[in-house]
Amino acid sequence: MRIDRYILVFVLCTLSLCTLSAVERTILLGPKTIGKAWKDNILIEPRHFASAKAGDVLTVYNDRAKGMSQAAFQHPKTWQGVAPEYGCFGFAGPFRMTLSDSILNIARTYGIILGGHDYRILRVTLSEASDYEETIVWSGPAVTMKADWSASAEIPGRCFESLQEGDGLRLHVSKVQEGAAAKLMDFTWNALAPSVDGMPVGEDGVTWFIYDRAPLLKLQLAGYGSQTAMRVGGKGYRLEKIGIVRQTGEVSEDLTDVQRAPREYQLQPGELFRGEKAFPADWSGNLSLTAAPFQESTENDVLVISYTLDQTAVASGTKAQLSIRNSRWQEITGAAEPVWYPLDGTDVVYMFDPVALDQVKTRGLILTGVGFTLTRIELISAQ
Amino acid sequence: MRHRSFLLSFLFLFVGCTQAQEPETQPVSSYQLCNPNATPETQRLWSVLCSEYGKRAISGVVANVDWNTRETENVYQWTGKYPALNVFDFINIHASKDVNKQGWLDYSDLTPVTDWYNAGGVVGCMWHWQVPANNGTNYTCSPGSQPGETSFDPEKVSDPSSAEYKRMIHDIDQVAGYLKKMQKRGIPVIWRPLHEAAGNSTEFSGGGAWFWWGAKGPEAYKALWRFLYDRMVNYHKLNNLIWVWNSQMNDRDWYPGDDVVDVVGRDNYYALQYPLAKEFKQLQAEYPNKLITLAECGSGDEVDMSLWSAIWGEGSRWSWFMTWYDYDYNAGTSDEHRFAGEAWWKDAFNTGLVIDREEMKRLLNL
Repeated sequence: MRIDRYILVFVLCTLSLCTLSAVERTILLGPKTIGKAWKDNILIEPRHFASAKAGDVLTVYNDRAKGMSQAAFQHPKTWQGVAPEYGCFGFAGPFRMTLSDSILNIARTYGIILGGHDYRILRVTLSEASDYEETIVWSGPAVTMKADWSASAEIPGRCFESLQEGDGLRLHVSKVQEGAAAKLMDFTWNALAPSVDGMPVGEDGVTWFIYDRAPLLKLQLAGYGSQTAMRVGGKGYRLEKIGIVRQTGEVSEDLTDVQRAPREYQLQPGELFRGEKAFPADWSGNLSLTAAPFQESTENDVLVISYTLDQTAVASGTKAQLSIRNSRWQEITGAAEPVWYPLDGTDVVYMFDPVALDQVKTRGLILTGVGFTLTRIELISAQ
Repeated sequence: MRHRSFLLSFLFLFVGCTQAQEPETQPVSSYQLCNPNATPETQRLWSVLCSEYGKRAISGVVANVDWNTRETENVYQWTGKYPALNVFDFINIHASKDVNKQGWLDYSDLTPVTDWYNAGGVVGCMWHWQVPANNGTNYTCSPGSQPGETSFDPEKVSDPSSAEYKRMIHDIDQVAGYLKKMQKRGIPVIWRPLHEAAGNSTEFSGGGAWFWWGAKGPEAYKALWRFLYDRMVNYHKLNNLIWVWNSQMNDRDWYPGDDVVDVVGRDNYYALQYPLAKEFKQLQAEYPNKLITLAECGSGDEVDMSLWSAIWGEGSRWSWFMTWYDYDYNAGTSDEHRFAGEAWWKDAFNTGLVIDREEMKRLLNL
């Protein structure tokens, strides 16, 4: 009986220690497709940041990225980057943001918009600063990166002997100016990857995580010992130190408090949209469609717009309605004043006249409105 | 009843004929080069452009940034055919080894151009005319007051004492030197300088010029164009150039004039068949005595370019098209060509209405 009690105490202590040790926890679960032209994004809700601390790290695991894919962490109210270096950046593999006090203020109040173009979010995690250990491998002499990109620091091969796939190279910087950018090059002056050819540099420096064998091999095989393996260039900052950052924390499989991305649907023939797109009472809900799906359209083709009413908004007095505009926000029929379709729960059926047809075939359309959730748009051919 | 059927049949036939109607192009003889002293090779190329106009399109690509035929190799690998036209860009003349010992390319070495021409290809040249940025070290085309932009003033083209004027003369003369070498080798050049001048200033209020040569509006721009034309044609005696002016649509105020323009071009990266056909017809109506060409095209941020079969099927009859390069694809860091990939090019050649390099060689009797 006493032995059992010891075992119980031991188990409880172990569990307690496990809980105290740092873990990387998933806060948002995809998939969420971030398509072309900066049109897609998702709000990471404020609640996830309630207990976060400065220094914690947000990681976005993703796939389907292309060479020119870009991402952004944006302020939900201003749409600016939550810090200058996070307004637009390239990436290859998972990308990260270290939370500062100012970023946390935004995140706790409004959340953070995760956007960009040409990739798919698989999950977003939050991990503590203690999940990462860093080894300084180069400590100067410091180099000031001038505005003309002419300065660079030569980093010897011995600095990268312990570098592994998945590790990050952190540039510690000072005297950061507006528009500061870094370029990480191999010894032949070529950028190690497209994403490090002018990556934005913030006050906290910048970290490049390596998920590709090619740059790792370049760094470790091209130079060794005191030979130059990497050149760090750029503009508008002073390079002080370089460290190798390695994630050491554990990954939590607990998904109880996770935020799930809206379900994504495979569009069927004729469908232009399917999903759940909110058009809330603050008029922030708009949907743009390019002209591409309308190229074969003819007069009398019909758009069928399906939705569900936002009962909360309607109950509070919002008049549910929608309007179809051209790409410059003018009424699609060419009328001076916008036409509003009152919504009562039944589908909106819109037939193209010659003016509207020309508009959608030339530049597409914008759907705007309030008090409903858009669920489907179908284009039905008259022929 | 039978009478009504006949009437209906007639109506359908009429409508069908109307829809299938080809856009009208002028007789070949009505298109004239603005330079009466054009070299025989230039006249021969012009004659081919005119005779094919409205019937078939000439395929083209731009160089990978500046002085090479890298993009043509992509098209060859995808289709087994080379495009007919390769357009070089004088964007980096400040870094040419003949004027800069630390330069990384050499425009004075004509090998890429002569190799292409000798293989039967048509040579095009454009000019992202970079001038010193405000920070005094970089070069740029972008107008503005930021350190990386330039406040270079195109109006100074009429002030010979200004630093800008001297810079213009310096750069024009440098480029003229390369073009003259081509002329000496008998190479005609489709020449497209000072492109997209109006930027998006005519598209919406608040729009503006994208390049310094458009920053001071249409009058300064036209004066610069005519200055460039005069310096190259009359001063340097360059008679191997076919002059292409770019329209941004609804920018007639920016047109330099019939006497200094041979071809009107349009650049479009929202290249869908319907808007392209509208633009072609509008330009054809505005400039009836000029060839109309799709001087740049490709998929854009928002849409994938329509297939050439659809573009042609919609009624566009661009003299040639030139797809843009993908630096990442060419560097091997992207698997997908951003602007026009394998499927697009295969479709283009499969129409049977697109001229490749072999066919162009035959047409030019090279």
